[in-house]
Amino acid sequence: MERRFTALLCALAVMAACAWAQDLALKGGTILTITNGTIENGTIIIQNGKITAVGKDVQIPNGIKVIDVTGKYVMPGIIDSHSHIALTDINEATDPVTPQIWMWEALEPGSDSILKTLAGGVTTVKTMHGSANIIGGVNVTIKLKYDRSVEELIIQGVRQQLKMALGENPKRLYGSKGRSPSTRMGNAYVARKAFVEAREYKAKWDKYEKDKQAGKKDLSPPKKDLQMETLKMVLEKKLSIDCHTYRAEEIAWIIDFCKEFDIDLLQLSHCIDGYKVADIMAEAGVFYGGWVDSWGFKEEAYDGCPYGLQILYDSGAKIVINSDSPVIGRYLFLEASKVLKYTDIPENEALKMITLNPAESLELGDRIGSLEKGKDGDIAVFDKHPLDSTTKCLMTIIEGEIFFDFSKESITVKGGSR
Amino acid sequence: MRKIVNAVLLVLILLVGISGAIPGDTIILIKNATIVPVKGAPTQNGDLLIENGKIAKIGTNIQAPAGAEVIDASGKYVYPGMVAVMTAVGVTGYPGAGNDTDEVGISTPHMDPYDAINPEDECIEVTRLGGVTTVQTVSGTRSVINGKSVVLHMEGGLAEEMVAKRYVAQIINMAAKEQNKYPSTQPGIVSFLRAQFDQAKEYAEKRTEKDKAAKADSKDENDKESFAKRNLEMEALVPVVTGKVPVIFITNDEVTIRNALEITKEYKLKGIIRASTGILKYTDRIAKENIPVIWAGTSGIPRRWEPHDLNYHTAAVLAEKGILFAFDPGGYGPGNRNVRNIFTPASLSVAHGLSEKDALEALTITPARILGIQEEVGSLEVGKTANVVIWTGSPLQGRSRVETVIVKGKLIPMTSFQTRLYEKFKKIVHERMKKK
Repeated sequence: MERRFTALLCALAVMAACAWAQDLALKGGTILTITNGTIENGTIIIQNGKITAVGKDVQIPNGIKVIDVTGKYVMPGIIDSHSHIALTDINEATDPVTPQIWMWEALEPGSDSILKTLAGGVTTVKTMHGSANIIGGVNVTIKLKYDRSVEELIIQGVRQQLKMALGENPKRLYGSKGRSPSTRMGNAYVARKAFVEAREYKAKWDKYEKDKQAGKKDLSPPKKDLQMETLKMVLEKKLSIDCHTYRAEEIAWIIDFCKEFDIDLLQLSHCIDGYKVADIMAEAGVFYGGWVDSWGFKEEAYDGCPYGLQILYDSGAKIVINSDSPVIGRYLFLEASKVLKYTDIPENEALKMITLNPAESLELGDRIGSLEKGKDGDIAVFDKHPLDSTTKCLMTIIEGEIFFDFSKESITVKGGSR
Repeated sequence: MRKIVNAVLLVLILLVGISGAIPGDTIILIKNATIVPVKGAPTQNGDLLIENGKIAKIGTNIQAPAGAEVIDASGKYVYPGMVAVMTAVGVTGYPGAGNDTDEVGISTPHMDPYDAINPEDECIEVTRLGGVTTVQTVSGTRSVINGKSVVLHMEGGLAEEMVAKRYVAQIINMAAKEQNKYPSTQPGIVSFLRAQFDQAKEYAEKRTEKDKAAKADSKDENDKESFAKRNLEMEALVPVVTGKVPVIFITNDEVTIRNALEITKEYKLKGIIRASTGILKYTDRIAKENIPVIWAGTSGIPRRWEPHDLNYHTAAVLAEKGILFAFDPGGYGPGNRNVRNIFTPASLSVAHGLSEKDALEALTITPARILGIQEEVGSLEVGKTANVVIWTGSPLQGRSRVETVIVKGKLIPMTSFQTRLYEKFKKIVHERMKKK
């Protein structure tokens, strides 16, 4: 599996060279850089898919395509680090442990959900396995390059994340079938058993590789197990973890669990009770990945509390606003505006929750999530400030290429079905 | 000794009388705000006086009456409390305590959510802190004929104190097909409804005849009941087929909308269409027939062949055609307790062509009109019930905060179980961090 994944990455590297990306200048807009303040009447240049200049007095190179965005707002493309779009299948809900599942094998680049999501200014999503299993599949982080090849969509050179899920969903699914896990105790056991076995599996393979290197004769390799192969990659930190969890004690538990097995936990998805253990999350450096004000839609979600974001923020925990929904995924900017309703967190920090913070939770903080020289030319243009709830996205650009243009796509332009 | 006790008791009784145990007896004067009445033009630097639970005066430089609580709202905005339709506020219950929506049965017109209202439902506090002060609570949505609905103000210790109007509408779901039993198809549902309505009409006639006969013949008024056997199901449908109580038809495509319109016409019902898609095909007919619409599809994702902004733009079309429409909070029952987010579809619609004025109306006076309570709430007018909210900005902005909520003339504490959770865990987390 690992080899297959490496092969994919190699293919991706080749693809990246034969750029679809274009050169582009956006002129006259209010640029929300996220990392370097706001530039009024600024210009941003993208060449070979990368941002080469951002500023007030930027010389536009000759022959470059120029788009006038005077009076408009320019921000980094929005990033949704918990989505299920563009997948033909989401849940391999047949066993509580299915790390052999790789979500890119369900990826559908021609999915209409990509087009509809682009219209919300979104350029990158982590599209994920569902929450049926304690250990689900390996998620895939993609750029929303509608209808291009799988290789072009998948972001190369970055660790993907294995989905884990605790709490009610696996409990209910397997419990209702008279199977384990049917309790949170069962959930914990299933996770521990899998990683204990993975450690043993890894030890066997490590010993085999070591012996082989030492030139030992008559060696036979251990039996290959596709589930264990993925978990071995997690133990080797070639993959990280995104865990679906709601309740405080579960959040603390999974943080301890990942420490115990020395594996990298990057994001806690949903994380309804995160504010109750904000200090523990901050110390572990794990991202809160959830909604702003959802609550009460099921028992473990009852204590959802939008004011809690303030506790997370004050504790130093990093906050990511996710959609987990193709509907909300189209207006994450509006979700972010509600952070200002319920907390005293500054505007730019609210914008970070849908840009730089998710980029960092995906280990892509050096490549996307802000408008800086050297970063990918992923941009969303809005007609008003993105935290004005009556704004709309006018243009979505990925690596210098326009993937959504309101002036061509809107019902008000076309006057009906396309 | 007894005299002293009596005197103390008398004083206590008087104190209770004065101190505000009677609802709506406080006088509140909001000063220096931008008052947006929804009906009529805003007043800058305006004042609003509340007396006896009602709006007593709107103007400038209103003198504070003796004993008035004065709220300085400089730089703030005063709006009527929002009105939300199709909610389950008051009947969703605590987790694990059971949910009181959606009684079993394909036809349960007699189910009345009033019988299940829990004034302690935590959703009430959360909802009013979001600026929603009046809701329509419905009994369910999953059956074909679901039941009654009531209008509640978001204040009161008992259901009877909260209720603004009983049986405001019957809820019929045109898409609630049964599995492997009748009616399992759309024509089946239409036919099933016809049969129910025919039976209700017949019952209404028979009941009237027998009541008359009973009155004429019987010596004892109590004997009346024995002449006409009561049928509670049919009794709940009689006001529907006689056009006294409106029907909200839940639809999910153009076919269910068409059939709801047909049934409305055929039985001369007061039909209201709750639509989530397919409404644009029928806007001309709906406008002509004066059918109100509850638009629930704003954030719905258009189909593959439809433009991405079809649904975001739909409210603008409804407004342009002069159709009376309100926004739906998007999802009914315990799955959606976030009625406070009723502004979201309105904001998205404003981004795509709806005027802010029309959007505000669709969150206040129009739902009030659809529910038949427009004389009581939905706008800031003298004589109306004082459901008044002070905001830091427009309710259409996600960032705007609710600073003060007044329901039925009462100042509401700005707390909910969520603010209490915040206070509790702010302290716990802080103390834990100090120890480290």
